[in-house]
Amino acid sequence: MIKIMTKKIKEKEFKLKVEDLTNKWKRALADYANLEKRVGQEKSDFVKYANACLIDKLLGVLDDLERAEAHLKSEGLSLALSQFRSVLKTEGVEEIKVEGENFDPEKMDCSEMVKGAKNKVIKVVQKGYFLNQKILRPAKVKVGSPSKV
Amino acid sequence: MNNKMTKIIGIDLGTTNSCVAVMEGGKPKVIPTSEGENLIPSVVEPVKNLVGRVAKRQMVLNPENTIYSIKRLMGRKITDEQVEKTQKMVGYKIKAGKNDMAVVEIEGKEYTPQEISAKILQKAKKDAEAYLGEKITEAVITVPAYFNDAQRQATKQAGEISGLEVKRIINEPTASSLAYGLEKKKAETIAVYDLGGGTFDISILELGDGVYEVKATNGDTFLGGDDFDQRVIEWIVAEFKKENGIDLTTDKQAMQRIRDAAEKAKVELSSSKETEINQPFITQGKSGQPLHLTMKLSRAKLEELVDDLIDKTMKPVEACLKDAKLDPKKIDQVILVGGQTRMPKVEEKVKQYFGKEPNKSVNPDEVVAVGAAVQAGVLAGDVKDILLLDVTPLTLGVETLGSVSTALIERNATIPTSKSQVFSTAADNQPQVEINVLQGERPMAADNKSLGRFILDGIPPAQRGVPQIEVSFDIDANGILNVTAKDKGTGKEQSITIKGSTGLSDEEVDKMTKEAEKHAEEDKLKKELVEARNQADTLVFTAEKTLKDAGDKADKKDKDEVEEEIKRVKELLKQEDLTKEKIEEATKSLSEKLQKVGAAMYQEKGKESPPASGENSKDKEKKKTGKKGDKEDKGKAEEGEVVE
Repeated sequence: MIKIMTKKIKEKEFKLKVEDLTNKWKRALADYANLEKRVGQEKSDFVKYANACLIDKLLGVLDDLERAEAHLKSEGLSLALSQFRSVLKTEGVEEIKVEGENFDPEKMDCSEMVKGAKNKVIKVVQKGYFLNQKILRPAKVKVGSPSKV
Repeated sequence: MNNKMTKIIGIDLGTTNSCVAVMEGGKPKVIPTSEGENLIPSVVEPVKNLVGRVAKRQMVLNPENTIYSIKRLMGRKITDEQVEKTQKMVGYKIKAGKNDMAVVEIEGKEYTPQEISAKILQKAKKDAEAYLGEKITEAVITVPAYFNDAQRQATKQAGEISGLEVKRIINEPTASSLAYGLEKKKAETIAVYDLGGGTFDISILELGDGVYEVKATNGDTFLGGDDFDQRVIEWIVAEFKKENGIDLTTDKQAMQRIRDAAEKAKVELSSSKETEINQPFITQGKSGQPLHLTMKLSRAKLEELVDDLIDKTMKPVEACLKDAKLDPKKIDQVILVGGQTRMPKVEEKVKQYFGKEPNKSVNPDEVVAVGAAVQAGVLAGDVKDILLLDVTPLTLGVETLGSVSTALIERNATIPTSKSQVFSTAADNQPQVEINVLQGERPMAADNKSLGRFILDGIPPAQRGVPQIEVSFDIDANGILNVTAKDKGTGKEQSITIKGSTGLSDEEVDKMTKEAEKHAEEDKLKKELVEARNQADTLVFTAEKTLKDAGDKADKKDKDEVEEEIKRVKELLKQEDLTKEKIEEATKSLSEKLQKVGAAMYQEKGKESPPASGENSKDKEKKKTGKKGDKEDKGKAEEGEVVE
């Protein structure tokens, strides 16, 4: 009788162990399969957005060059900047048009409230850009408030 | 049997930023938000239902409706000192709710801190589901070690409101320790130094029997990286005023730029000794001329500017150790948490105080979330005793033609794993191949360790390069290596079992890797020389065969020239002291002469006997290089034959 009990207990333990291992194995395979899917997606995203970091840095420099352009009336500088913008365009960079639009936090960052039409973009402080239709840098804007003095 | 395969996520619900992580394949992974960032700003606009980065962007527009630092109000009464201090800081209204608990009032409606935090957790949940592609219903959430029962309950409620069953609430310092796996190191006392954006926390934990106990905590709830930024901003403004006589604080846009530049400079100085702060056209001078801000900030100067702030953190540390009745030198492990701990001076002060190197390899912004994920994994049953897979520490391969080491399994490959490659014979009618199993990083077989050798014989007579010998390496989870060589033609196979191929000590692995690096240059030359020799050998073989096949189709003069070249190359190869260039020159010359003969043969119609294949022999096994000659007619070159 005891022998049969022991055998039954051992069998049960064994069954549990097998179930446990099967689950762990399935989990590992599932993680792997998910990783494959993600890697595929990441690869395709990488191609599209690999330059995002670099372009973001260059936009900072572009900001300063545009400030210079506003102050110095130099044809040469304007031509060079036009070329720079053209290069960015071919890389999929597009300016976010916000002037006069309603404030939208998805595309804009409000840096200051100024007197003006409620919730409208009164001034662009720093241009925003899309990279391949995804927001690379939101536009920094001054937003209107009728009550502001 | 519980067949749940759903994952439990770990969430660091922070004052300024929150972070989510999950265990995947036994390793913690920080989950990026839908915006592609690793951190979620803990900012909520409940009316427009904005959370995170998007909510932050409209904070200035909407200060009364935008809630941040809600963690400061969790589970606290309206009369709490923290609540009073917070009210002075923030633009939204705080008032007394049910039972005098602090609540926020937005457009006449009351929201409890739990409801606001729930919105952050909801976003974390949603982003995790999008990333993992499965529904998430359970989470582990972290809280500061000093949180009382009411605060912990509030955090749990926040989870429930967001649709998450909170499997456990764990302390942030404990989570950090889990992230570093300190329970495996059997560390007894652990100090966690957490300097984030807005708060500083120091905790002393004691680990015993796998259980963490908080011995003491202290800190400063209004001291963080933001204060460090402020010092730099003040310095920039002061310097500019000195140079230009203009106060930039009145210009909101200029201050915005300076704020960003200051933070950027601070971050850069953690890895450089000096940085330049460069903001052209920052403002206009008295006469309307544009003024530029350019200054250099050195690490030494930055340290001077923030020295008192760093010292300010050490007072709570001393108090905490006193509470725990411990000497700083008695602490077994120190952990750095929070972005500001990246600053070298902060690390230095901590190291000096505790007299040991702090743990900082895990991203300090993410370490708490990572620890929460580890705990979540344990609760999910994924990771009962954190199953770790081994790696093979050194490259494994076989010896091939020219005493070269050809890799089959690269170092640091996770095991169990297997890899096969097909090789062939190096000489005509070669009856057997010897498999010499090598371990090491050097390109030459003699410089690597031979783990074992065996022979596969019974290969039927054939031209070199024709037999297909499949060599398979298989390492099981215990690191036992099985190498099999099978003749695909006859089906005959031979194998060898090698134990302990992964059982090298760290020092041995390190030594071998360093040796490889040291000799990398000369090894490369050696290998190139061998390859050049092999190519020359092959070309000679091909040339001889071509001459035979050509018969009278080719011009006698051309054939004689080829024979001359063959003799020359053969003589050259007999020499010991050769350079790659010499061999390549001779090979090129032979190859050119051979072309003429080849061209002549093609002019006659029909090809003759099947093309020659493979490389020349000196050793037992050959490596197919798969390179095609880049000149067209090279006798009858077959794919895999090296002709140049």
